[in-house]
Order: sequence, then structure tokens, then C-alpha cells
Amino acid sequence: MNILVCLKQILDPEVPVRDFAIDGSGLQADPNCANQMTNIFCENALETALQLKDAHGGKITVLSFGPDSVKDSLRKGLAMKANEAFMVLNNTGHQPDSAATAKVLAKAIGKMEPFDLVLTGREAGDWGAGQTGGLLAEELGLPYSAFVDEIEPEGEDRLILRQQTDSGWNKISAPKPVVASITNSDHNLPRIPKTRDIILANRKPLTSWSLEEVGISEDELAAEQQKARIKLLSIPEGKSDCEFIEGDSLEDKIDNLAERIVAIARSV
Amino acid sequence: MGTKTFNSNDIYHFEELISQEDRMIMDAAREYAQTQLEPRALEGNQDEQFDIGIAREMGDLGLLGVFIPEEYGGAGSSYTAYGVINRELDRVDSAYRSFVSVQSSLVMHPIHVFGTEEQRQKYLPRLATGEIIGCYGLTEPDHGSDPGSMITSAKKIDGGWKLNGSKTWITNSPIADLCVVWAKAYDGGDEDGVIRGFLIERGTEGLSTPKVKNKMSMRASPTGEIVMQDCFIPNENALPDIRGLKGPFSCLNNARFGIVWGVVGVAENCYQRARDYVLGRTQFGYPLASMQLIQTKLANMVTDITQMQLLAWRLGDLKDKDRATPEMVSLAKRNNAGAALNIARVARDMLGGNGITGDFRVIHHMMNMETVNTYEGTYDIHGLVLGRAITEIQSFVPRGNDQ
Repeated sequence: MNILVCLKQILDPEVPVRDFAIDGSGLQADPNCANQMTNIFCENALETALQLKDAHGGKITVLSFGPDSVKDSLRKGLAMKANEAFMVLNNTGHQPDSAATAKVLAKAIGKMEPFDLVLTGREAGDWGAGQTGGLLAEELGLPYSAFVDEIEPEGEDRLILRQQTDSGWNKISAPKPVVASITNSDHNLPRIPKTRDIILANRKPLTSWSLEEVGISEDELAAEQQKARIKLLSIPEGKSDCEFIEGDSLEDKIDNLAERIVAIARSV
Repeated sequence: MGTKTFNSNDIYHFEELISQEDRMIMDAAREYAQTQLEPRALEGNQDEQFDIGIAREMGDLGLLGVFIPEEYGGAGSSYTAYGVINRELDRVDSAYRSFVSVQSSLVMHPIHVFGTEEQRQKYLPRLATGEIIGCYGLTEPDHGSDPGSMITSAKKIDGGWKLNGSKTWITNSPIADLCVVWAKAYDGGDEDGVIRGFLIERGTEGLSTPKVKNKMSMRASPTGEIVMQDCFIPNENALPDIRGLKGPFSCLNNARFGIVWGVVGVAENCYQRARDYVLGRTQFGYPLASMQLIQTKLANMVTDITQMQLLAWRLGDLKDKDRATPEMVSLAKRNNAGAALNIARVARDMLGGNGITGDFRVIHHMMNMETVNTYEGTYDIHGLVLGRAITEIQSFVPRGNDQ
């Protein structure tokens, strides 16, 4: 099976609140306020693909659209045992939204050999839009399923996608090729790459295409970005207060606490 | 135009100096240390418990003997890669870094450099996976900084050697499957009394490895003795090509290099925990971080840490180019271990009463640093190594008082 996994590089979402900053434009996070890392749900997607490959064979390609630094995410993908890595270089200095990203990824996928399965993360830890997978399926004209946490082959031509729901899961049979966005579960925790595989990954080729090479101009990308624009970002000011609830007995304290909670809820 | 940014955790952007490959190894080691070791560290310390599964986990990720060539189970990495692994393990608990130091530098390194091909094939792959655990015996109860006066002996007999003596302060000895022991060899020839290396397997008759009890530092690291009573070691278990102290010192030099990097992680962790604490704790109506006494303490910490980071990086660079001398390693081990101990003590102080509990972790590091500043050459002994190199006069042996 030929699997493509899309990887997005984002600022570390675990950055302490006091270190998080917005850059001078007021339109995006300051790229220097935290380390760049691969979005965790994208790594869940890669882990899902790796387990599928380990059990049933096949080949995994990783693809990313972003600045030169996305090479780090792709190299980590190779170190986790993906077979090939491709990127489309974004040197515009702007972060594309989900629709623009899906368009670029679809163009890149069009240049590559056909895939049986295309995976993205459920959402990214920066904006949390959760749109890229669905929009990519639309661009590619393929069926799509979201919130998938497990994939199994069904005969030669179909796959069973296990989709998480609020109360359990759905098992969906889909024809190949199919696009799925992957969510996290107990069994797709991303593996830590081994030192030897890291060294081997750094010897593997990594193909980098320009926007022009995949057939999209910077103007087209900019036009795509115009559809939904961010006007201004700001960090909400956090306020915290501490109040001690008094009472003569435990029961009194519980009653007073309950009354206080109700009063606060009403005032909000 | 360059980008001018101030990162309070890496003020001189020293991580940018590390190659991409080594940074990836650093990231993998960090992920492992933070997700797998950190949750076990406090309990491991309190209960003096080294989870034996850690050896296999580390072996599986290729963290043991990472610089050993692939054909013997290593990853064939740079020494800087070994350094960055040590930094990440030490950030959690020096006990875990000590385990890796001993396995990699004191056991795998001498077998690789001084061993026969058969010894390499027999032991290195299993040491790399953590299937077997090694330890290293040089220090004796009465001979620490002065190993040349060791009394452990190896007497030549038919088919091998008979070893007698005892080694102490041996990291991993209670759990070791293989002991690299240095002893004075007596074969009745010209080399009588010359120091040689021997590989002693667990199960050898006359070998015992009792644990050192009541340690107040490095509690998750099992430390013990190696007691040898007429232990028979076959000829094939003697390291063939090394004589004298340069054998054990070559191993120590590698391990000290790991310490130079490891304690950077300790100092960084203590500083970051102290910074978090003083930014969050308010006294007299203001955050502790707003007090001048606190700010200069933080300033001193990051000044020392920046020096430690750059020393570690440059030493790694020189070692990877095969240009590092033992004196360079002594300078950096002395500086970095001493500075890390001081930073840990100051951080402990800044955390006030909370700094006394293990939950805040700095006292754990502080106690560990007492060991690290002492073992693998004490702070003062490394000063004498440097003094000898600077003046070309050795001052290890006191003179002028003998009548």
C-alpha cells in the first residue's frame, strides 16, 4: 500500500503563556517565541501509517508545505521510518490558511505517484481549524473521513477506517484511494526515532519544490488567502482571584460554596 | 539583517551550533527523558530504585554507546551526539545519565578500543541493546584519586589469570553482568606490576558485588563494590593491547566528556525551575522575581550556564575532530560540575521551604551534584591536572614534608 502523510510544522503549543508573543504585524504568533515542532496529530497520522506498513507492508511518503525549517519535521518523519520525503517551500513569509494549504498539497500530490491512502492530522495545535484534511479530499476529488484512529485493509481495493465518535466509533468501509484525518488514541502514540535511524534519515534525499514547480504562483496563493483574513490577534488578559469560603461546619461550607458558585454563574 | 532575539533558556543560541543530526538525536533523547524517565525519577530516588527495564528502553532507542560503530551495535554517531544525550538524561536525574556513562564510556569504549575482535563481537551488541549491563572497576577503598597505587592483583596461571582485590564506588556493580576491572598483572616477566584490564562475567567463582548502602545522593543509581577472591579469568577475557593507566584514563576521559554535557542539563533544569518559581510566587506584595537579590542570582546562573553550554559545545567540536586533550576535558569537567553544583544549591535556596521537597526536584539535583563534582576526578584533582599542564610540574605527590 502506498501511503502519503501530510506533516505540518507549528510553534510548540506547550510554550508557557508568559513566553507566548504576537509579532509586530499583529497578525501571527512571533515565530521566535517557541520552538518549531511537528504537529502532534500529524505524528499520530504518521504512526498510524507506520503501523499499517509494519503489519501489511507498503511505502510511506511524508509531505509538508512550509518554510525551510519544515525539513526538520520531514527528517524526523524519515527517522521514524517513512520511506520518502517531499516539501513545497513557502518563502512568502506568510502562514497559509487551510484552503490555501490544501490547494498546494493537492498540486504537489498531483506530481507524485498515485497513493492508496492520504493522511493528515485531525487539526493543528496552532489554529485548530481542522479543515485541511477535508479540503484536501475536495481538491483531490476523493472520499474523506475525519477523526479516524485506526485503519485496516479490506480485501485488495478497500480500507476499513475506524472513526471516533462521542459515544464510541464507526467502522467505515471506503474504496481506495481515500483521504482521512487522524486523531490520537492509546495505540497511535508516535514512536520516538532511534539514533541509528536518525543518522540514516539524514543521508536520505529530501525533494524540495518551489510553488512554481508544483504549478501555483505566489499571486494565486495570496488570492486564496484573501478569502478569509485575520484582522488582528491579541492575547487575552488573564485575571485570577482567590476566595476562601467560610462556614461553621463542613455542611455549612458546602452550602456556602454552592451558593457562591451559583451567584458567580448568574453574574456571568 | 540577523534576527535579534533573547531566549532566556539559551541566551547565546548555543543549540544552533549543534548539527542538525545531533539536534535530532537531542530531541529524541529529550522526548524519551521527559515522557518516560521524568515520571519515574522522584520515586526512583526516594526508593533507591533503578528500573532494570530502563536499560532495554535506552538500548532500543540506541542511546547506549551511540558513538560505537554500527557493526558493533552502536549508531556510529559523533561524540557531540553522546553529549546531547547526556544533557537530556541529566536534566531528569544524573542517576540515569550515570548508567549511560558507565555502559557507554567505561565498558563499551574500552572493549571497542582495547578489546579483541572476539570480545567486541561477544559483548558490544548486547551492551548496546541493554541486554547485558556493564560496570567499571578502578577505584579501591584506599586508592581513589591515586589509582596507580591500586593493590588489586592479577596473577598469571595456566590458561588465564587469578584476580584478587576489591573495588568500590562502582556504578551499576550490583546489577552488572560484566565488570571491566583494572588490576596489576604479575606474570613473572618484565611487565610485573603493570596495570591491565580484565573482563569478568557475573557468575565467576569468587566474584561478589555488594551494594553500597545509605547513599544520600544518586539514589536511583545502584552503586556497589566488586570483590574478587581468587577469581579465575581466562586468557581470552584479558584486554590484550593496553598497559598502564592510560587504559583506564582513556575511558574516564570519555565519561568526563559526557559529564561536561550532562551537568549543563542539570544547571538548566535548576535555573528554569527557580525562574518559574520566583515568577509565580509573591511575597511582600510583589513577585519574588522583582527582588534585586533574586534577579542577580538568576543573572549569575545564566552567565554560568552560557559558559557551560559553550564549553561543552566547543569541547564536543574538538573531540569530534580528534583534537581534544585530557586537560581540555579536565577544565570543562571541573568548571561545569562545579558550576552545576553551585547553581543547584542557589536554586534550592531560592525555592525556600518548597525547595526542601522532592516535588520541586532541585534538591534532588543538588544532592546528585555532590557526587558528580566528586566522581570521575574531583574538582580539586582536575585543578591539579590543569596545574601540571600549565607549569609542567606535577603536584599530586606532596613534597618537602618527608624526613
